[in-house]
Amino acid sequence: MAEMDPGTLVTIVTIIIAGLGMVIGAIAPALAEGRAVVKALESIARQPDSAGDLRTTLLIAMALLESTAIYVLLVVLILLFANPLLDRFF
Amino acid sequence: MQEVFPEVVFTVMGIPVRDTVVSSWVMVALIVGIVLLFRQLKPTALEMVVDFLADFIREIMRRPADPFLPLIGSLALYVGVANVIGLVPFLKSPTSDINTPIALALVVFVAVHVYGVRIMGFGPYIKSLASPIFLLPLELISQVSRTISLSIRLFGNVFSAEIIIAILFALAPLIVPLPLQGFSIFTGLLQAYIFAALAAVYIAAGLPARQEESGVEADSDNLETIEQLIEKE
Repeated sequence: MAEMDPGTLVTIVTIIIAGLGMVIGAIAPALAEGRAVVKALESIARQPDSAGDLRTTLLIAMALLESTAIYVLLVVLILLFANPLLDRFF
Repeated sequence: MQEVFPEVVFTVMGIPVRDTVVSSWVMVALIVGIVLLFRQLKPTALEMVVDFLADFIREIMRRPADPFLPLIGSLALYVGVANVIGLVPFLKSPTSDINTPIALALVVFVAVHVYGVRIMGFGPYIKSLASPIFLLPLELISQVSRTISLSIRLFGNVFSAEIIIAILFALAPLIVPLPLQGFSIFTGLLQAYIFAALAAVYIAAGLPARQEESGVEADSDNLETIEQLIEKE
């Protein structure tokens, strides 16, 4: 363990952080989107006439919420496939 | 797994041409061919598409769709076809290369200011950007960050779908990736809808609010509630 080559250490830490980051980064937007959908469904149940208007607003809001998960995904992809830190060791 | 990433196919005068660019040429040829064919055979189908896009823009921007239909309609068609064409063998989605979404988002970024200047005039538009002068930095930051988020959202969705399909294909070929490929058609079309809707929202946010139309709408809402009250009684 003490003899570990720094490149291997960086790879291991990168893989663990990628999995962990993606998990945490997916939980928060999922909860937020769930809240948005619940509110929208409640308002549609209360006022069915406003369903068309709510649907477009809901889709746009969901896209904006989901983009936080996409940012995490992008960082994870960069860490896994184009890690800038590995170039220092190899 | 390596097939997911874009590769350089050939170089023209020192400029590398990737396979995503080639498949976007194929895509443009396909769209133009379909439009020319249907104009001869069945013009009503094309009219339905244009009507759908015009209704969509009118619903989101709450103003006449005519000045915005050419830009937002072609953005929606391009992104929609580009997301779906990755399922064709030997072709790769142009949007799974980060350069294409960035180019599309820059088009939207420029279009916001072009429409603002064209509709309000140069002086009033600049003034509306800095209406209280201390909000100008925030406005500039939001202009830049929305461009980045627009491009990364499209790229992330399409690219992650392709990576998931590639991983499943390496693990269990042929049958298991099929439902996810069907799902990727759905998400691709939804992303095209969202891209066009956000472009419309950003362009509409740069324009002055319409007084007459909102007034008319409030009146019709009042009428409806009055009618409901009468019905209840």
